[in-house]
Formats: sequence, C-alpha cells, structure tokens
Amino acid sequence: MMIKNRSTRSFFVPRRWVPRPGMASYFTFGNYRRVWMTLIVSLSITCLVPLSIITVIHQRNVDTAMNVELLLRAERSASNARRTVGNFLQERMDALRFIVNEVGYEKLNHTEQLKNVLRNLKVGFGGISDLGMIHDDGTQVAYVGEFNLMGRNYRNEKWFKECMDKGQYISDVFKGFRGVPHIILSVKSESPKGEVFILRATLDTAKLIETVSSYKSSEYADIFLINLEGFCQTPSFNYGEGDGLHKAGFSVPPPASRTHALEIKDFKGERFIMAYAYINAGETETPFILINLKRDAPMGTVWDTSKTQAIRIFFVSVFVILLIVYLTSTYMINRLFMSDSIKAGTLRAAEHKSQLASIGQLAAGVAHEINNPLAVINEEAGYLMDLIEMDDAPPEKTELSEHIRSILDSVDRCGTITRQLLFFARQFDVKIMNFHPADILSDVLKFYHKEAEYRNIRLTVDVSPRTPVIVSDKGKFQQVFINLINNAFQAMENNGALSIAIGPMEPDFVTITVSDTGCGIPSENLSRIFDPFFTTKGDSEGTGLGLSITYGLMQKLKGKIDVNSKVGKGTTFTLIFPLDMQGDSTS
Amino acid sequence: MCSNIKPYVLIIDDEQRFATMLSKRLSLRGYLCEVVYDGESGLAMLPRHPFKAVILDLRLPGLSGEEVLERIKMEQPDLPVIILTGHGNEKERTRCMGLHAHAFLNKPVDLAQLVSLFEEITAGNTSSKP
Repeated sequence: MMIKNRSTRSFFVPRRWVPRPGMASYFTFGNYRRVWMTLIVSLSITCLVPLSIITVIHQRNVDTAMNVELLLRAERSASNARRTVGNFLQERMDALRFIVNEVGYEKLNHTEQLKNVLRNLKVGFGGISDLGMIHDDGTQVAYVGEFNLMGRNYRNEKWFKECMDKGQYISDVFKGFRGVPHIILSVKSESPKGEVFILRATLDTAKLIETVSSYKSSEYADIFLINLEGFCQTPSFNYGEGDGLHKAGFSVPPPASRTHALEIKDFKGERFIMAYAYINAGETETPFILINLKRDAPMGTVWDTSKTQAIRIFFVSVFVILLIVYLTSTYMINRLFMSDSIKAGTLRAAEHKSQLASIGQLAAGVAHEINNPLAVINEEAGYLMDLIEMDDAPPEKTELSEHIRSILDSVDRCGTITRQLLFFARQFDVKIMNFHPADILSDVLKFYHKEAEYRNIRLTVDVSPRTPVIVSDKGKFQQVFINLINNAFQAMENNGALSIAIGPMEPDFVTITVSDTGCGIPSENLSRIFDPFFTTKGDSEGTGLGLSITYGLMQKLKGKIDVNSKVGKGTTFTLIFPLDMQGDSTS
Repeated sequence: MCSNIKPYVLIIDDEQRFATMLSKRLSLRGYLCEVVYDGESGLAMLPRHPFKAVILDLRLPGLSGEEVLERIKMEQPDLPVIILTGHGNEKERTRCMGLHAHAFLNKPVDLAQLVSLFEEITAGNTSSKP
C-alpha cells in the first residue's frame, strides 16, 4: 500500500526524461521537457485567457452598473434638495410680497411698524435677521435689525439696481457691511399714490446650510450650493466654507432646467460623480446651483464587494488551474515517457530478433550454397574410394588429378562463400566509414544471384559514374538493402525484375531507388507499411518489422525513405542518404 | 535375387559435376543412368525411356524442381521421384511430400542411403508384380 501510494505520487513530480544511451531513436519525442513545458503553457493559456476575459468583463459591468446607480442616486438627492431649497427661498419671498401688499407703504415707512413685522416674520419663518424699507432713490428710510443702517444709501449697490429693474431679487452669499455671510431678499412695490419702494430682508445662511446639509446621503457625499461664478455658498468639505469667498474646484456646469448627473474630474484631477441643479424660487431666478458630489468608487458598497469577490475567485481559480495543469501535464508526460520506455525496449528487442532472423535467413541461403560444392566433394571423394575399392587396377594419374582438382575447386567455392559470410557478419557492428554505395550493393546482391537465376528474376544495378564515396554506417547501410531486397523477392513471382539505381546526384546527398515488379501495395496500406508489426503476409511469414526496422535504420543513418507503389505493377523505394552522416547537413 | 534387377535412373540437377559423378558412381554399382541439367530436358526424356526412378534437384534454371515434380506425377503417377537438394527447408519438404515425392534428401548424400532407397523401390515393384 505504502509503495503503491509513493509510486502514484511520484508520477506528479517531473523526472529526468532522458532515454538510456542508444535508445533515443525509439522514443516518440526528442525532448520531453520541452513537450512538458509546451503542454503546461498551452493548457494554461487555454484555461486562463477565457477566465481573464470573463473577469475583466465582469469588473467592467460592475463598474458600469455602479456608475449608473451612483448617478441615479446622486441625481435623486440633488433633485430633492433643489426642490426644498427652492421652496425655502420662495416661501420667504412670498412672505415679503405678502407684507408689502398687506401692510402697505404707509405703515412700512415707520420703524415701529417694521419691528412688528420682523418679529412676526422671525416667528413664522426664522432665519431673517433684519428688515429695511428703501425708497426709489436708494435711501433706507426704515430699518429694524442688529446694525445701525438707518439712512444708508444703496443706490449704487448691485442688488438695488437688479431689484429696481426686475421687481424682485435674491442675492448670493456675501459679507457686505456687516462682515458675516448673508443673503439679501428684496421685493419692489408701488403705493396707491405711486411711490416706488423696496422691502429688503436679510437672511442668515445658517438655516439654509442646515436645509442643504440635511440631504447629505453619506459621509462621502458633499452637497452644497455654488453661485453662478462657482463660489461656494454653503460649506463643502472638498472646497471650503460657504462664505462666498471660496471657489469650488471645478467648472460651473452649464445652465439646465432639470437636474443632471455626470462624471467629472476636478481641477486637482480627482474623479467625482456630480449631480447639479439650477435653483429657482418659484418665478424668481436665484444665483444658486445645487451641487451633489460623490466619490467615484466608494469602498465597501455591494458593488465593491462583488468586485473584490470576483478578483478573489479569479486568483483562486488561477492558482487551482495552474496547479491542476502542472500536475496533469507532469503525470501525462511521466506516463508517456514510461510507456515509450517500454515500447522502446520491446522495439529494440524485436529489432534484434528480426536482425537475427534475417541472419538466419541468410544462413539458410548460405547453407544451400555450401552444400552444393560439398555434395560435389562427397561424390568425387566417394568415386575415388569406389575406384580403389571396386576396381582392381589402380586409377590413372590423369583421372586422379581431374577428380582432385574438382575437389579443390569445390573447396575453393566453399571458402569464398564463408569468407563473404564472415565479412558480412562483421558489418553488423557500428562502424562509420568511407565507402562506395555501389560496392556494398554488389556485395549484398552476391547472395541473391543464385535465387534470382533460379527464379528468373532480372537484377540490374544502374550506377552513375559520378556516384561519390559516402561516410555512413556500413552495417546499417547493408541491412537496409538486405531488408528491401528480401521484401522485393517476396513480393515478386518468378520472371520479375529488380532494379537498383544510384542517382540523380545532389551536392549533399545520394539518392538510391529500389524498384521491383512485384504485387505492389494498395494505397490504403501505403501510409502504414513503416508501422511496426504491420504485415499483409500471413501469420507464418514475416514479422511485420522489416520495413519498420528499415525506417528506423534510415533515421539512424540520418537519411529518408519514401515509397511509391501501384498494385499489380510494382513498388519503388526511394532512399536518400547524406554524403556524410556525421556532418551537419541533417536536413 | 531382386538386387539383380537394377532400376533405370534419371538424374536432373544443374550442378553438372555433381550429377556426372553421381551417375558414374551409380554406374559402378550397376545402375543405368541418364543425366540432364534442367527440368525441360528431363521431362522431354521421360516418355522415351522406361525410368524406374528420378533424382531431382529443387533449384533448377527455368522450370523449378517442384514444377517438374508436379508434371512427372501428372504423366507417370507411379514413377518414384527422390528429391535431392542443397538445403531444403521444412516448407519445401512438406510441399514435395504433398506432391507424392518418394523421399526428400539433403546434399551431401550418403550413396548407401540412395542405393537402399533404390532397392526398396525395386523390391516394391517386383513384389507388386505377380
């Protein structure tokens, strides 16, 4: 159990994926580490790209939804505040108008009467600190309040001129003679006798500030008034006190009859959601613009939490994906390497066996070739013995020498064959050397001449005179041709033709073609003939390894093999060998 | 008694020196032999001579030994054919025995073995004739 666990676990740890010496050519990949890394990178990209895209889209959607909601909320509270502030001012203007009409010019001319009016106003509305009656020449003829302003002339004041012009006037916040921020509300009227006068009230900003501030929706919200020039009229925690002397740090928004919300950047570059509304007090225009500022992305909201959660999920997913990709890739490559190792061992063993089999096949042919001269020797020697045993007269000298020469000829034939065989057997060792391809071909073909003769198969070798000497592994080179010629002989009936041609010549490689007039290979099998254990011969014949081994041998020789075939016409193998297999022209 | 009647033997082998020497040695033992070096010549000779046995090589130029065996058996099914080849494998042996070859021998052959086969054939022939 322990051992099993450990071995399973070890599949998740990258190993040294290096084939044993001499085994590399049997493996599917040359560099398993690179395959492993490619697998990890491509799988990670495949998984992480969609995840990242989804996360980015989600974050953007959240941002958009959050902005829309923030804009709506800011607009709503600005709209409410605008109405309230408008009503606040309108009520007081209406009160002044009521007083002017109800109390009348005569009574308002007297400070005592005015005192009563102010007292009632303070009780009824609050926020009004003094009251004055001004004639059309600008002189204040009656006044009640904390300051001594009786007889003061306002002819040159802006508010006086505006009020005379428009009939009513609401000033913005200013400090004026008294040095405290206040607003002037004034109404023009005419007595039945035709005297024109103005009733003017001073409004403390405290009550206004209180009214505006009540709409502050959160501690991050900044709701305040500015005037048409952009000066703060009530306190803003971003831009200072509401004394009419501090300028708000953004451009005055364009005039609009409704409430608007938009995203802005102030002069310091800070981003805000801003809702604004120009305030009217009934019919009377005021110089006030209500501003509701909110920070762009407040922390801790539902939206913000959603964003944070998405990011957290993203990073956890990335970690899990990378971990799984790493473990899976490692496991797969470990498994692949292991099965390739087993496959490589099997293939090498099979290849070795097949090589032995081809030597065995060769040996059978050789035995036949040797047995013929041995049979001759046997008969010659037997005959000599017969002569000695059965004839009374000793054999003639000439006859004796004829038979002995025949024996010696036969011995010589045997010797030639065994020499060839020994020479041939030596070539199975790995030995890279210079040789002429035509020489090797003629050595190989020697073993097939007799069979070709019996089966009436025409053997032709067409060697270009310009064929160069090549540097290659002679044994493997031979093996390639033994395999291909064996194959061709098996594919052909009697009376066929096998032709081997060397050429055409190229600067870096030699092309050799082996063509037979055999049964040919159906096109559907053509792509599989180099696969191990692929055979169309019956169970008894062929291991299905001959061409696979030939393919492997060609790879080891840094060459290429290609096949063309027509059923019923024959097959041509085209082999390309580098001039020097140790050189760098491996392409 | 029976050994006095020596069979008339046809030797078909392309290894000329071997065929000649074999015929010479058989002649010394009282056999009458004809030697040819290919299958066609052997088949041509067959109807003209009363051969009692044929020694046939498998590897021959032109018609192969197996083809010659088949043709002989078609024409004279009772004529015993002894296959004598350089190195015959099991498949060839099975095929030849299937074609009713009398025996399948590998070279080099012991002449005594061959002679005893001939005696067996002669004995069979005489015993079958009343």
